[in-house]
Amino acid sequence: MTIRSMVVRLVEWRARSFSDPAERLQFLRRRLGSPPANRGSSIRALTRLPILTTLGLAVAGISFMPACRRTLGLALPFVLASAPVTPKAQVAPPAVVQNTAAASLPHVWQVENNRQFDLYSNGLRVENRFQASTEPRSYLAFSRTGALALTHERFTRPAGIVFHTTESHLAPFEEDQNRKLKREGEGLLEYVSRNHSYHFVIDRFGRVFRIVEEGDYANHAGNSIWADQSWIYVNLNQSFFGVAFEARSRPKEGELPVNAAQVHAARTLTEMLRARYGITADNCVTHAQVSINPGGRSAGNHTDWAANLPFEDLGLTDNYARPLPSVTLFGFSATALLEEARDSPLARGLEAAEDQVRSDAAANNLPENRYRHILQTRYKDAITALHAKGALQETN
Amino acid sequence: MTNTNTQAISAIGLDVGTSRIVTARRKDKDLQFAKQLNAFVTIPFSKLTQGVLKKERIPHLIQDSEIVVYGDESERFANLFHKETRRPMLRGVLNKDETEGPTLVRHIVALLTGEEVGEGKKLCFSIPAAPLGANEEVAEHETELKSMFGKLGYDARSISEGLAVVYGEMESSNYTGIGISFGGGLCNVCLAYLSVPVFSFSIAKGGDFIDSSVAELRGEPATRIRTIKEESFHFNGHFANKIYDSLAIYYEDMMQAVVAALKDTFASVQNMPKLSRPIPLVLSGGSAMAPGFRDRFEKILRDTDLPVAISEVRLAPSPMHSTARGALVAALSDM
Repeated sequence: MTIRSMVVRLVEWRARSFSDPAERLQFLRRRLGSPPANRGSSIRALTRLPILTTLGLAVAGISFMPACRRTLGLALPFVLASAPVTPKAQVAPPAVVQNTAAASLPHVWQVENNRQFDLYSNGLRVENRFQASTEPRSYLAFSRTGALALTHERFTRPAGIVFHTTESHLAPFEEDQNRKLKREGEGLLEYVSRNHSYHFVIDRFGRVFRIVEEGDYANHAGNSIWADQSWIYVNLNQSFFGVAFEARSRPKEGELPVNAAQVHAARTLTEMLRARYGITADNCVTHAQVSINPGGRSAGNHTDWAANLPFEDLGLTDNYARPLPSVTLFGFSATALLEEARDSPLARGLEAAEDQVRSDAAANNLPENRYRHILQTRYKDAITALHAKGALQETN
Repeated sequence: MTNTNTQAISAIGLDVGTSRIVTARRKDKDLQFAKQLNAFVTIPFSKLTQGVLKKERIPHLIQDSEIVVYGDESERFANLFHKETRRPMLRGVLNKDETEGPTLVRHIVALLTGEEVGEGKKLCFSIPAAPLGANEEVAEHETELKSMFGKLGYDARSISEGLAVVYGEMESSNYTGIGISFGGGLCNVCLAYLSVPVFSFSIAKGGDFIDSSVAELRGEPATRIRTIKEESFHFNGHFANKIYDSLAIYYEDMMQAVVAALKDTFASVQNMPKLSRPIPLVLSGGSAMAPGFRDRFEKILRDTDLPVAISEVRLAPSPMHSTARGALVAALSDM
């Protein structure tokens, strides 16, 4: 490695400590002598920097540290912890692997809309008689492009879907149980509507009921974390749709958690939501994957759909193997959930997440517990930011 | 280091696009975006109409014997009066056939910013890069806009649209990578290394090219094609509908042209920096929003032998905002 490339890497490393994009750009342009942005082919200025000049610039970059520290915010612990001699020691933000399969969206449009029901071109019919409203959706998502410091933006567009089970009482699904099945279903719908528990419920006959208006939040996910390639979502009531199956995660032996009619309805509902809101398959997940216990810093507080969600049958890619963002980005422990999900597909995602934390810690020359602690501090800061913005909703 | 709290209320990023104008501003730590169609429609003047427009607060101007409705409302009025909207800009620059183009751009910007005078605020506006295979007068366009914003009281400067995409979307790679904006009039491309532009270019194919080509092929009005394209077109599956088929063909043509131009530019550029690792590529702009666009583009790109390794092909989280966001970052970094 030449001195010049070392200097460039040092400047690059220093730039990463700026969480504010404008300040980072300002730093880079000052250190590298970048001309005004609209002048083309100005890379010569960089490639022809004399070594002594670049060394001087690098020293200037280091001397910039005090001013930097004022703006480091969340990045500060990482900078101090790594105390790098070479750029290699920089703590890099953990990565989430993007699941690009099934990223393409289906095309579905609304055919009819009235007070009783909505009809869509893929055959989906949504019953509106239990519809309730809360407040319009509005949430902060944290950018993944901001290195380790958390910058955020406010959104009103739903980012994904969380699948739940109602865990309610279930009568045997048999012909002579019709009255009981209907009565229990209605009772459930009234209850979840009153509590704004989900956006949609799919009953045992495969009927889809709108519980909370699509433009409003619902109290479905509580303390929860998910992330896609660009954004980190904390507490998903506002940012994700909640879709619940009238079902139990652990049915009696020999029974399936859901029936074919429910799966078909969920598929058409998922198609509609993805088509209408541009939701990627990566952001269609189960409650078990996103739920956390913030006090115990553990993943998997709720465990509905810890296994058996038929992703493929819903037109989605199996997400179970994806490393859990609560573990890789915020250092939560997956031990308890791993116990719950042993021998299930989710175990692969949990193990992958734990492996990733270990390898990220090693890459940053930090003991695993220290690295995990830093990630957990990051979660605390995210919650503080949500509090400060009045964006932290009560959780269920 | 300058105080970003002061910056927060005194800078504007502006994407002056052929089909839309988008503003980005920062208040505290939040980014705020607003957009309006860069279009207008004229309707015959009458006192009654003028009164209704005033009452309904519909942005308009009176010019001679006509009322000019501009911005988003122009589309509604165009449909109402069975007319086509007109554009103050064409293929990325001010439309020479529309003499009132600069005035309308000024009014649309004022509508978006909610202010008639800039009071010395920093404003960074996007301009297209020098085009390949087209004759637009970018320099003249830039000068005219800069002068116009200067007269409004802004401290204005320009930024190449592709570079704005890099500044808007590539913070995580220290502004290293390829930013592409698939706009209405042009596709703008920029490779930057640590914020420094290595090359920028544009090609004269964008959303309008797709609309007009399909319209001509299928004998339909371009407005209808645009509506179909924006509301229901997607790349996946087989199309029974011939319009979808044609849209897919011309989208592909646009992507092929961008990738071919990218390859040619890499071959001809001098002083290429040594890239120690694969670089990201970000897609943005309204024409990149069709479902499946990213996948199709990536396939074309991966089938092409480029001299640099691409780490990822990413669609911007809000493709319509990328340029304005990058222009805002540039404006704030100047303070």
